[in-house]
Amino acid sequence: MGAGVAAVGRVPPKSTSVEGGPAGRVASRPRKLTEPRLVRWLLTGLALGFLGLFLLLPLTAVFVEALRNGFGPYLDSVREPDAVAALKLTLLAAAFAVPANLIFGVAAGWAIAKFRFPGRTLLTTLIDLPFAVSPVISGMVFVLLFGRQGLLGSWAADHDLRIVFAVPGIVLATIFVSFPFVAREVIPVMEAAGTQEEEAARVLGAGGFQTFFRVTLPNIKWGVLYGAILCNARAMGEFGAVSVVSGKIRGETNTLPLHVEILYNEYMFQAAFAVASLLTLLAVVTLIVKTILERKLHS
Amino acid sequence: MGIEVRNLTKSFGSFIALRDVSFTVHSGELVALLGPSGSGKTTLLRVIAGLERPDVGSVLFDGDDATRQDPRHRGVGFVFQHYALFRHMSVFENVAFGLRVRPREQRPTEDEIKRRVHELLSLVQLDYLGDRYPSQLSGGQRQRVALARALAVEPKVLLLDEPFGALDAKVRQELRRWLRRLHQEIHLTSVFVTHDQEEALELANRVVVMNEGKIEQDAPPGEVIEKPATPFVSNFLGNVNLFHGRVQVEVHDEEGRPMPMELDGERSEAVRVIVGDRVYVRPRGNADR
Repeated sequence: MGAGVAAVGRVPPKSTSVEGGPAGRVASRPRKLTEPRLVRWLLTGLALGFLGLFLLLPLTAVFVEALRNGFGPYLDSVREPDAVAALKLTLLAAAFAVPANLIFGVAAGWAIAKFRFPGRTLLTTLIDLPFAVSPVISGMVFVLLFGRQGLLGSWAADHDLRIVFAVPGIVLATIFVSFPFVAREVIPVMEAAGTQEEEAARVLGAGGFQTFFRVTLPNIKWGVLYGAILCNARAMGEFGAVSVVSGKIRGETNTLPLHVEILYNEYMFQAAFAVASLLTLLAVVTLIVKTILERKLHS
Repeated sequence: MGIEVRNLTKSFGSFIALRDVSFTVHSGELVALLGPSGSGKTTLLRVIAGLERPDVGSVLFDGDDATRQDPRHRGVGFVFQHYALFRHMSVFENVAFGLRVRPREQRPTEDEIKRRVHELLSLVQLDYLGDRYPSQLSGGQRQRVALARALAVEPKVLLLDEPFGALDAKVRQELRRWLRRLHQEIHLTSVFVTHDQEEALELANRVVVMNEGKIEQDAPPGEVIEKPATPFVSNFLGNVNLFHGRVQVEVHDEEGRPMPMELDGERSEAVRVIVGDRVYVRPRGNADR
């Protein structure tokens, strides 16, 4: 159930960098320095077995279950109006969350990497807050803030704004949980780039905007794109926080992960897996784009 | 354009980089700021460029106070120690940058930009590398691109931060000579920072020796060697001996490095050969030979 997407979202960005095939390197080393053949096979086998058991098997199971009754029922479950509405809402939430966090992430990264100011360390820590806090709690915070008795709830009610148990709440919760990805990708890239090129641009007569768009942004563009993709994966796969603020009104405030859960709880296994396969496909597309970008980033 | 610096003081936290520094660069001069690392010479250069704001004191360009002026309006060319080339732009675009970011009404036409960039690239003898990216160039080539880029905006002052610091000895020699020729051709007021006394003595009209944020001596190269103003200056310049006598030959090995010469039976290295009658010699630290 949506596990594919959620897993992509939670992978810490740096741990995914490939270190140039360790197996190949071992083989070219002098004999004395490598492990005995038996140990090597055992460890490789263990790793592959683990990978198959925990990643490939569930992924295949999603599609096998989804297509259990054949292609016709699969298409019916996917085309069903509530499923389509859930897909639309998921894409809508991501369409708000990604641009918002893109702007925020680049701005925060820029401030943190290029300037020294009081509270800089605090800001760096705060950016990671959505990673540290359980998504359910993130959702609760929004309910507490914007709910009937909440701090901003009465204000919202006065202005006839429905936030919790409505689309705005889902968008807010999604923005919150997918908030660190861009900033975390951009900060190291910006720090590595330093400030010299910006200084050079200024001395050559460039203004603030010209410096940003002609010098700063091109230097970090792959980092920004990579962050946006991770952010998107998390935004589409988010379950916990959205589940709390959504209210799960079918066809209205149900996102794809929530819809999968509802179907599953109603023993509609085939439909649940069919909808889950949509999420999985989104995750696979995200992974492919990510891999392409990663190659660009490291070359 | 002449530069005047008055009573500059600048500190970073508890570290005082400049202490009440005043000096003048006359129009067309080539001045070296010489000193050990941490002596404040780079800070001074950055204050002149407007990249740092002084705590106290002022910077004047041709008598006009420029202390609070934004670096983009100062009309200075700055060559950074590590060149700071725009890594995502080709050599051509690097040099063209200063022209392209001008306000629309002052911006040259595309043809004009092309002509100017090619002119500058041939001045630094790199016209054939216009399509390359900075990462594909050698250190010496990057240095020359940085110089062409700085010159593209027709600066009134050229500031160079350790311009040859990151280069190997042979390239350094070549670029030094090349920079001196360039200065003779275009007479651009220039200030460069160096910790290498040979470089300062060979290139500059005037040497400003700095230590711990203060100016120790501000004099022509010959005077700095002949009459060091403070013990620091004589120490920093090393054991330079002055010999009288006309020397007509500069000795270099195949790689362009100065060859050790025998003078008065001591193995030593010619530091600077002045056309005239003075030779400055510094013995190598190898006393038994």
